[in-house]
Amino acid sequence: MANFEPKIVAFLCNWCSYTGADLAGTSRMKYAHNIRIIRVMCSGRVDPTFVLKSLREGADGVLICGCHPGDCHYHEGNYKCLRRYEFIKQYLTEMGIDKKRIRLDWISASEGKQFAELADAMTEQVAELGPCRVRSIMENVT
Amino acid sequence: MKDSRIGVYICWCGTNIAKMVDVEKIAEDIGRLENVVIARNYKYMCSDPGQDLIIKDIKEHELDRVVVAACSPRIHELTFRKALENAGLNQYLFEMANIREHVSWVHTDREEATKKAADLVRAALKRVSYHEPLDKLSVAINPATLIVGGGVAGMSAAFRLAEAGKKVYLVEKEADLGGQAARLDLSFPYLNTVSSFLQPLIRKVKEHKNIKVFTGQSISEITGYVGNFKTTTGINGKLEDLEFGHIIVATGLSNYDPSPFKNYGYGRLPDVITSIEFEKMLRSGNIKCSDGKPPRHIAIIHCVGSRNENIHEYCSRTCCATALKYANQLRATFPGAGIYDLYADMRAFSKACEELYTKTSTKDVMFLMFDPERSLPEVKQAGWKDECNMLIDMHEILSGENVEVPADMVILMTAVEAQKDAKDIAHAAGISMCGNHFYIEKHPKLDPVATTTDGVFIVGTCQGPKDIPESITQAWAAAARVLAGISRGTVTVEVTTAVVNEEICCGCQTCISVCPYTAISFNEEKNVSEVNEVLCKGCGTCGSTCPTGAIRSRHFTDMQILSQIEGMLNEGKVKETHKILEEA
Repeated sequence: MANFEPKIVAFLCNWCSYTGADLAGTSRMKYAHNIRIIRVMCSGRVDPTFVLKSLREGADGVLICGCHPGDCHYHEGNYKCLRRYEFIKQYLTEMGIDKKRIRLDWISASEGKQFAELADAMTEQVAELGPCRVRSIMENVT
Repeated sequence: MKDSRIGVYICWCGTNIAKMVDVEKIAEDIGRLENVVIARNYKYMCSDPGQDLIIKDIKEHELDRVVVAACSPRIHELTFRKALENAGLNQYLFEMANIREHVSWVHTDREEATKKAADLVRAALKRVSYHEPLDKLSVAINPATLIVGGGVAGMSAAFRLAEAGKKVYLVEKEADLGGQAARLDLSFPYLNTVSSFLQPLIRKVKEHKNIKVFTGQSISEITGYVGNFKTTTGINGKLEDLEFGHIIVATGLSNYDPSPFKNYGYGRLPDVITSIEFEKMLRSGNIKCSDGKPPRHIAIIHCVGSRNENIHEYCSRTCCATALKYANQLRATFPGAGIYDLYADMRAFSKACEELYTKTSTKDVMFLMFDPERSLPEVKQAGWKDECNMLIDMHEILSGENVEVPADMVILMTAVEAQKDAKDIAHAAGISMCGNHFYIEKHPKLDPVATTTDGVFIVGTCQGPKDIPESITQAWAAAARVLAGISRGTVTVEVTTAVVNEEICCGCQTCISVCPYTAISFNEEKNVSEVNEVLCKGCGTCGSTCPTGAIRSRHFTDMQILSQIEGMLNEGKVKETHKILEEA
């Protein structure tokens, strides 16, 4: 498992987190290459289906980032995301998927460094769990 | 999914992308995939020849969709959308993959970076197949402007707009106009009185027929969008509804309270004062110590709260030149006094400020350098035998000696910091903030006074520490931007709003309960939800809540995002023609 390179899909809100990830880039911070970012306007847009689809297509983990509580560009989308996140974690657990494969965190537009650190921490967290088997199981359904 | 004809362009960004990502290989691999008509790599896609390449290909190869893999879409998405429009293609049939900020600049392994970039390009490729042409909504621009903050920056912008014949609402939270500049005596580097230009400006603004000034008022909520904003403000409970097309935020700065620095003794020693307190003394024309006597020795200490990891990491930018200004004023007032300037670094960077430094050093001012990482100067009460009230212990690093500096008065060059209520205004106007609560411009070079919210501009020190000329420059720049918007007359607003498919809406009204803008209402007759496109801001929360999938978030539809995920995690289908070629 030492060489396992997890694939992580990250959903970042346009206003805070995506900008924060851009800042990590302009500041030339280095972080794990395992994170693949998808931009959504608000973390409130992250439909549980997106998480399930990611795992189904072979992602080993899913990261969701939004603005800090109270800072949402759309007032409260991040709170809605938080509520949905708790629900998704419970659902994954019931499906036999480790809830540590999904993580929600707040990244502001100025937190490039924090984003880089989060990307590394998430990669490490998912690497410890090993590959997610959802895709291979689904492909071998007879 | 119907067949599409997609053009894919991988940008080198000079060496910014190309040195870490094998752009040629990606273009070659992508070119083998279904629906890709042409895949190119080019040095600078955002340049005119780069854009022309896209326009030419759209016409020549009848492309119906375009993917550009380059920098962040926050920088050049609009550039490429315009190129599509110039080629006669709807601008929403475009998707960008961010392979610079999110790949080449943050990774060190070229092979892995190339793999990641390819994944992002395939994701964009798959997503763009599901893009739909969208029309832009054209709305009239209200020619009035709201300016929040009546300091030098806010008033300068207000006056420029008013002179151009446009209505301005200027809202200032203090009882008087003037802001920070009104607290200053002289301005550097030429040592002119601030009031000589400030008072006429205040008068011109107050008297201008196109400017309505609201003092002692704040702004709590602003609704609407570029061209059509609304807010409520008023005096003595008499509220007034204001309507305006643009917003200029010029809320300025506040001054750092140096009490946490125990070594400087502020609050404990009566003759340790902040620079802004000293300005007050200068304006009164009466520089004296707490015992009523004129100071025989004056020490000025730099970088109090600035360039300090635990307080403000940034440089406050104006304190060095201000300290030089004080040294000159003090020398003129007290020809025989000892003047000591305790600095960490002398950053007299503005025009003519280095010259001010040179001039000051000929006036018998003693410059003493300390290293804040090693030790800060320590101000203590002098003994009864000493000929001064206080003594400052410091390690002078140029001589390498520990010295004792006499002082009857100590002036702390305190940091400037963001306003305490910066966050409230940021929320009301839709502005992002840095970690230190200064406002973030859309782009430092490409759009320095705009914000990520259309129609909202930031000027002066609310954006970061700066001097008076810089604040005025920004104010005039923003005024020019606003005038350009007004003279255009209309503005196109994005229609990436939500839309309800009435056929599958079950009438549960869950979407109505989550919408932060009350943009969704219920049509009792049809038993379906309806979206008001003008109120909707396109956050998409309703889309992820709708149990039947009846609500679509335009340009962020379920299909578009799900296909993006699919593209990202799968190799993609190779074209039949390529398969035959490759097998042979």
